[in-house]
Amino acid sequence: MKTETNNLSRRKFIALAGGGVGFAAIAGLGMNIDWALNNPEIDADTILKNTINTDVLVVGGGMAGLFAAVKAHDAGAKVMLVSKGRLGASGQTPFAKGIFAYDKEKEKLSIDEFVAKVSRSALGTNNQTYTRQLAEHSLARVNELKEWGFFESSLYNKSFSKPIEERNIPMHERVTITHLIKEDDRVVGAAGFSIDEQKVLFYQAKSVILCTGAGGFKPNGFPICDLTHDGTVMAYNIGAKVTGKEWNDGHPARGENPAACYDGWGDMFEQKPSTTSIEVRHDLGVDMNYMAYMSGGVAQMGRPGMGKQENSVSGGPYRPEEFSSEKGQGGPSKDGEKDGKRPPRKDGEDRPPRKEGEDGPPGKEGKGGPPGMGGGVVGGSSAGMSIHKAEGLVPINDTCESTIPGLYAAGDALGSYMAGGIYTQIGSSLSGSAVQGAIAGETAAKYSKNIKAHSISASKLNAIEEDILAPLKKEAGYSPAWVTQTLQSIMIPNFIIYIKKENLMKAALAYVEELRDHHVPHLRASNLHELRLAHETKNMVISAEMKLRASLMRKESRCSHYRLDYPELDNENWQAWINIFKAEDGTMQLEKQPFNTWATVETNSKVEFNS
Amino acid sequence: MPIKSINGCIGCEECIKSCPTDVIRLNPDSKKAEILYPEDCQICHLCRMYCPVDAIVITPDKSIPVIVSWG
Repeated sequence: MKTETNNLSRRKFIALAGGGVGFAAIAGLGMNIDWALNNPEIDADTILKNTINTDVLVVGGGMAGLFAAVKAHDAGAKVMLVSKGRLGASGQTPFAKGIFAYDKEKEKLSIDEFVAKVSRSALGTNNQTYTRQLAEHSLARVNELKEWGFFESSLYNKSFSKPIEERNIPMHERVTITHLIKEDDRVVGAAGFSIDEQKVLFYQAKSVILCTGAGGFKPNGFPICDLTHDGTVMAYNIGAKVTGKEWNDGHPARGENPAACYDGWGDMFEQKPSTTSIEVRHDLGVDMNYMAYMSGGVAQMGRPGMGKQENSVSGGPYRPEEFSSEKGQGGPSKDGEKDGKRPPRKDGEDRPPRKEGEDGPPGKEGKGGPPGMGGGVVGGSSAGMSIHKAEGLVPINDTCESTIPGLYAAGDALGSYMAGGIYTQIGSSLSGSAVQGAIAGETAAKYSKNIKAHSISASKLNAIEEDILAPLKKEAGYSPAWVTQTLQSIMIPNFIIYIKKENLMKAALAYVEELRDHHVPHLRASNLHELRLAHETKNMVISAEMKLRASLMRKESRCSHYRLDYPELDNENWQAWINIFKAEDGTMQLEKQPFNTWATVETNSKVEFNS
Repeated sequence: MPIKSINGCIGCEECIKSCPTDVIRLNPDSKKAEILYPEDCQICHLCRMYCPVDAIVITPDKSIPVIVSWG
């Protein structure tokens, strides 16, 4: 154990001088750098290492991870489940209370009609194969959840633990995975660290399923803060294609105490989950930001998005006629719930019904809001997050397989475009994660049966360990909290991320590149809590770069992506998704992939199969 | 402060395990949960809901650090 000290020890001095960059220069000038000094509470040099071997490694303990682990096990694979938090109590799963189940006995629409309706609302952005898969498999998954007791409690840990314990599936909780490992052009494992024990963990696996959820910029007012696109960025770093970064979740928060997500969602977090049936919407959210932007902000318009008719402004995000006339089609919220999550309460005031063909952004309905939601709403509570199931790894087929052999993703970590670039079917986020998790689990188990175990090279393990522990070993550097706060200031304002314009996105990109090149390399951590924050911050910065580059590239407006300088749909050029990948030279590259096609993979893989 | 206090803790660690943002840790001496990183609290109330003895008090307000040029 090192002792805490503010004195510049000899070791620190040498490290600073030898480091050569930034802080050494400051120290050389005789400037006091106490603010930057790292005072480690643990000695990174004595941290233990542990290697675990498995067939299928499932990363993430939410709805997708639960089904991935269970189904991979049931298909005969040796499974290991690793979660950043607690099973059923981290990510967004614990807060989703509505789960869609397509029951053909009860629904008026056939599956074909359901898929067609979602596709009309999504303006073509949805992957129809994944939309159909949701409908086909959702009821079976919901019935399994019922057996495990899911619908009997508002807290999910117990029901999630039941099938895991019954199968004796080993599990590591409170372990942050930071790296995917690729050798011979395929995934061979992952690495990370425990936030409780001083331990780096290596997982040698034949296949990995990322059930790591989505992420945001640690925004306030939405339960998203342990999700920082970890899976997406890890996969991107080993060459996987990722997608869906230009879309925006547009949930608001309460104007008063906007950080209080529990309070904003009323008592919904305390409720037991329940099923939803077909209700296809076109929930924007970006329209509220448009109104606030065009009307001069909260001060003038009172309650942004509250839909007082006189506050309506012309123009704004396009909404298909079919989805504009229903009462309450106002944005990310309705009385009741949206996509399994009930919106922040609003103070009760009726909004005149939207007129047929009425121009302008629709307002929010505010009827019947429970007491205590005074002061209106503000935007950005989920800033940094795309639409559920629209961002993440690019699938190459309908079995959740990524562009890297052996690497799978499910739920919010998979860019399946199940719903499209907009929220469509209510409650489909949670059941989509269950459906995809199960399919990924079965597929990964099957793949693993035919593949030889791989021993990861010592040099690679050493390099990864160095990378994981680097912030702990910094003698001086930037705190993750400060870099995150700076990133939030750049990205969250509505004139950057929601009401998009070329010049401001380019300006923001310049700031983000600065953080990427000059601050991320100097992130410091004094303990395991801060080490996790350091890695999360890195991921958020990369995700911000992706979001800006994709938003700059899509020169049109569609669904939850709104460009003030390109406000119209451009069907001639933009019936396409945007894939992002890391080029050989390390730069971020983007490409178009036409809607409803599969990504192609250059197969130079040297995967050895057992005969 | 978001998570404000823990009174009457029995040391079961339910809140520690259930906090998605690792705000609460077990005090090695007292063997009771303590609020260690309140600035990372997302005010989701999972800790309070998992607590079997209703020991946790949470308020809806949150203050953020002041903006500085580096930090």
